[in-house]
Amino acid sequence: MSMKDRVAIAGAATTGFVAKNSGRSQVSLAAEASIDVIRKCGIAREDIDGLCGSWPSAAVLQSTLGIPEVTWFGNPVIPMVDHVATAAAAVHAGLCEVVLVYHAAYRAAWNSGSALKDPFRRIATPGLMDPRPGPDTMAAAVGYTGWASRYMHEYGASREDFGLVAINARSNAARNPAAAMREPLSMDDYLKAPMIREPLCLYDMDPAVDGADAFIVTTAERATDMALPPVLINAAVLGQVRHNEEDQTVSLRQHGQHVVIDTLKAKSDFWIDDIDVYFPYDGFTPITLNWIDNAGWCKPGEAGAFLRDHWVAEQRRVLINGRVPVNPHGGSLSEGATQASGHMREAVHQLQGIAGDRQVAGARRALITAGGFFFNAQGLTLHRP
Amino acid sequence: MTADITDDELVQRFPGEPITHDNAAHYRGRLRRELLLNRCDDCARWHAPFKPICPDCWSSRVSAQPVSGEGLIFMAIFLHRGPAAPGVDYRTPYPVVAVELAEQEGLRFTSTVVGADNAGIYIGAPVRLDWIDRGGVPTPVFALRGSS
Repeated sequence: MSMKDRVAIAGAATTGFVAKNSGRSQVSLAAEASIDVIRKCGIAREDIDGLCGSWPSAAVLQSTLGIPEVTWFGNPVIPMVDHVATAAAAVHAGLCEVVLVYHAAYRAAWNSGSALKDPFRRIATPGLMDPRPGPDTMAAAVGYTGWASRYMHEYGASREDFGLVAINARSNAARNPAAAMREPLSMDDYLKAPMIREPLCLYDMDPAVDGADAFIVTTAERATDMALPPVLINAAVLGQVRHNEEDQTVSLRQHGQHVVIDTLKAKSDFWIDDIDVYFPYDGFTPITLNWIDNAGWCKPGEAGAFLRDHWVAEQRRVLINGRVPVNPHGGSLSEGATQASGHMREAVHQLQGIAGDRQVAGARRALITAGGFFFNAQGLTLHRP
Repeated sequence: MTADITDDELVQRFPGEPITHDNAAHYRGRLRRELLLNRCDDCARWHAPFKPICPDCWSSRVSAQPVSGEGLIFMAIFLHRGPAAPGVDYRTPYPVVAVELAEQEGLRFTSTVVGADNAGIYIGAPVRLDWIDRGGVPTPVFALRGSS
């Protein structure tokens, strides 16, 4: 039997994020968010019988929080729809009933010069001392720059198209105290920013941050006994195709995002015309444009024009059809590299009606399209009945 | 002669490269300036990156065979900063290209372009294989076709 609407996210909490070395360990950040979400849900640590996250390990987090016993735990790979989907499947299968899902973003010594200067972070960064490949590769994050070059070449997209994604994120982040980057950004600022990997500049990529998010995933039934309104998981998918290496991916029209969209459309009870808030991943701005194209908001290559058509100039942000905000928390571009834990946390808070100054009035349905193209495209539809 | 190099010696010649049982023949090929990619001996399809079996017909008869290195630039980016590498200076943005090789549609190899202004490096430009010396070992790179 499908797990549709049978598993809920009962609550979400965050430490907030900073784009500097916090002077804390990854375990400390994860523990703070975990304790916060357990308290906000009105449960006790004895209620937790499942754990799911990537860093720290479930064993370390359990011993840190003093959780007496768990009957299931998992350490899947990022981004974080994986963790919620896996936890939900475990709950639905009866392996456990109340899962603490957690994610601690941490400024690792391989992606930040100042993090490299912190001796504790050097120790805490796995693989740092392994031999490193040279610059002649499209692997990992570089691949999005490669496909940005294709996006511009095939569709005639401009740097301004990417810039609109960055500006929308910053404008939204002004109302999010958890975000690391909250200063407003103009198109002029964007166009003058230093290039990092041309055609992408500093503002096209999410900053390395310290901070954590945590969630409680449980049965829809059990969630109704907790302190906050349950948010039901309607459909979830991790999409991947055969040619999933960055430089071998077939085309902009044939990668993991298309599997995600086709699957979510088929399995979800609602789609883009029905949602109140949209969360496309924005670890790199071209990923966001591709999600907007592929989700069907517009035709392939038209995401830039779509953003312009739905741009609210006085707010410097997008409201689709004057109504649906895009990453109202400021996305990864403003909160930092949360691997979509931030997108999911904000979706839960919006649907619970506790999103503060960012609250979308009466929000009931959310679409999250997380991750990139290659081995990390994921989707989730959430609603509050 | 280089075919006789031991696995230990091979790893020492290419510090930092992710050498495995499936791509060691490719790295041995580099030492004699031959660009080898894995190809199925049964169905003749090429594969990249290196796979231990043929993803098309599941034959385990896969061998590293030379490619011409002729192709068209499929993706082109320019690094304004990046990992330290011998002879790489990011003051001039460093080009990295994925080249679609002439051998098979969708078969790509990623490296840099040498001997060209960045303005001449763009998607669709024809290139050919070239070799440079980096850290004491030959490294496959591309040159714009038509350049000497």
